[in-house]
Amino acid sequence: MSPGLSLADARARLPFLVAVEAEPAEEARLLERLCDWCSRFTPLAALDGADGLILDISGVAHLFEGEAALVEDCLKRLAAQGIAAVAGVAGNPRAAWALARFSRQKIAPEILSDKAFAKLFHDLPLAALGLDDKTVADMARAGLRLIGDIALRPRAPITARFGAVPIGRLDALKGLERSSIAPRFMPPDFCAERRFASPIETLEAIEATLRKLADDLVVLLERQAKGARRIELSLYRVDGDVRRIRVGASRPLNEARAIARLFAERLASPHEDAIDAGFGVDLMRLSCLAAEPLAPSQVELDRAHEAERARALADLIDRLSARLGARAVTRRTLVEAHLPEQAEAAAPATLGEARTRGDATLLPHSPSRDGRLSTPYAGEGVRRSRSDEGERGVPARPLRLFVRPEPIEAVAEVPDGPPLRFRWRRVLHDVAAIEGPERIAAPWWRRPDAPTRDYFRAEDSQGRRFWLYREGLWGRETLRAKWFVHGVFG
Amino acid sequence: MSPSGSAEGMARLRRAVAGIEAGAGLSERAPRRLKLARALDSALGGGLADDALHEIAPAEPADEAAAMGFALALAARFLSQRPSAGLVIGEGFAAHETGALYGPGLIAHGLTLSRLVFVEAPDADAAFWAMEEALKSGGPAAVIGEIWNLRGYSLAASRRLLLAARKGRTPALLVLASAYGQAERMSSAAETRFEIAALPSARIPAAAGRDLPGPFACGARLVKARLTVFVDAVDSPSKDGRPSGRPMDRVRAQRARLHDAAHAVRLEWRSENLAFHEDLAFDDPPISLSLAAASGDGPRPASQPR
Repeated sequence: MSPGLSLADARARLPFLVAVEAEPAEEARLLERLCDWCSRFTPLAALDGADGLILDISGVAHLFEGEAALVEDCLKRLAAQGIAAVAGVAGNPRAAWALARFSRQKIAPEILSDKAFAKLFHDLPLAALGLDDKTVADMARAGLRLIGDIALRPRAPITARFGAVPIGRLDALKGLERSSIAPRFMPPDFCAERRFASPIETLEAIEATLRKLADDLVVLLERQAKGARRIELSLYRVDGDVRRIRVGASRPLNEARAIARLFAERLASPHEDAIDAGFGVDLMRLSCLAAEPLAPSQVELDRAHEAERARALADLIDRLSARLGARAVTRRTLVEAHLPEQAEAAAPATLGEARTRGDATLLPHSPSRDGRLSTPYAGEGVRRSRSDEGERGVPARPLRLFVRPEPIEAVAEVPDGPPLRFRWRRVLHDVAAIEGPERIAAPWWRRPDAPTRDYFRAEDSQGRRFWLYREGLWGRETLRAKWFVHGVFG
Repeated sequence: MSPSGSAEGMARLRRAVAGIEAGAGLSERAPRRLKLARALDSALGGGLADDALHEIAPAEPADEAAAMGFALALAARFLSQRPSAGLVIGEGFAAHETGALYGPGLIAHGLTLSRLVFVEAPDADAAFWAMEEALKSGGPAAVIGEIWNLRGYSLAASRRLLLAARKGRTPALLVLASAYGQAERMSSAAETRFEIAALPSARIPAAAGRDLPGPFACGARLVKARLTVFVDAVDSPSKDGRPSGRPMDRVRAQRARLHDAAHAVRLEWRSENLAFHEDLAFDDPPISLSLAAASGDGPRPASQPR
């Protein structure tokens, strides 16, 4: 049996062959999940082709009592998940790759003399350099089969005949060339973790550990006088599942209690599918993905109280956002748009008025320099209002606006005049006072055929006030004007 | 048990409750009182306490917008006293049913948009939870809740909100959006309850055609006001030489009047100076009182136990 064999031939050779359709997408997803899982060993884990993972274990092996033990632990845990794997350890990614796939000895000694290198690699086939099949075949025709065959020969003729790749790969194997991996996750600035000899299963235990991790993280943050803006909690389950929970803070946090509380809200949140500890969690890690210098503490005594309130408000916003979702807790800003429904924009309040890093995963809005949120493109003809305090001059607008304007039956004296009475939600309202029209047109450059609206502020005989509009200019755009109620005033 | 014995027992119980509440971290600080309008302030003991729960109910279903307008006007006044932001908490579905609060409209109503945080809770329970958390934290300058589903709103729930408001010294304005016509029947721990009805505004005469609508106006009826502020003032003689009786009696008299169903105070909201304008001609003029709170030499209500 070898790759490239047709199914019929394979069946002929092995009658009881079980054939399964290849699912590259599923396999890729499995590999990604494994890669995430591997971040339990090191934060620097990368995908390698369609069937491999590369972990940078520099400086972490001692945590697992050496490289050999680390490999053994890793393979044992993978086997427990039903995954057969081979592993190699070497001083650079290329060498580890070669050892894992082609060598009998999987772990290279830490210090590799030329002699040891020759012993380890010279007997491996040229495919161990990661060359493509055609190059390997070409070289085989020239009598070059093993790495030793090219390592012991002059470099120039080989480069002249087969290109720079084989020799370059050889240098990489020796560690003469810098090679790097592209990890799936960037290592966090700060992180704290706890491993458990026997997995923990209860939410209480998870929360208790969370508090300890928060303590550890705060110690790390304090050394650099920083506070955490984005924090991630990773729960590694025994069965290989990795659960990541991220929270954002609207001010740099450096209090363990505040951090633990944010996650506690999230864990208790009814929207979050409850933490399913399953067979248990054997590793918890709390990472600070984004840290910022702490604001210098407020010294003026008279302002201290207000600073306290502001801090309490920021913490409150974080907790509400963690529990209800960042989109449920918003601040709003005015947008200069003609259409009333586009005149305001909402943005998650966790961004607050504090400086924020652009976090594309969180929102489409990006914060501008003065701390206010600006929408890069919030609609047609939209310009952000310069300041929020120029607000006073705004025309009368209703307290509530309907998401969809509701059609009404209105009676007017003349087709293009204000209504005398109208029926909305089955109640007849006599218009006692009215102001209008205020003519608002949709942006013609975007929607040239959108009808113009004439808005009226109408008060009925009982003092209830409505914002009505007639759609379409009578005689020019339409002959049967349609009436809507778009909002109600307080 | 003799009457004096029962009074003693009552006093003991009060002390015990005060002890429990002090242990719960409740402050002994007297609340700052926010003035609303003369006709209401006297019945409120000087104004709306800034550390209590105030309920606002519409008189009829269609008055809900007016009730919200009144609550937001109160919020604007509370926000003008503190630099912090206000929190507006509502149920998510309400935006589709009744229209969502509209930023330009809020500005026109006298609020500053950058100082409001909007919280959309998935249901009433979450909204009450958010209100309680917000009040306890002491961060916001005011917490406005608008709740439609009042099934979960009980004496206990309102008591929790009241205690949270005391703890965080934050005023809570709860709009009982679906409790129209029930303002007098409800029982809750709230300090005050208003019933709000829309009233025709003061029209502005137009040159031609019909009049223009004036500023927001509503009829506010104080259905409930817990008042314990004047207890110690009862025996002090009035200093300004007025022949009237003891302040407590007068306050009682005033409240009795305001509890009268026919007696609503007409308030007109002036968003440009964040003040209510009372229309004295709307009803017979309210009794003008010089209360202990107002007189400089009287016992300060701030020192009274609450």
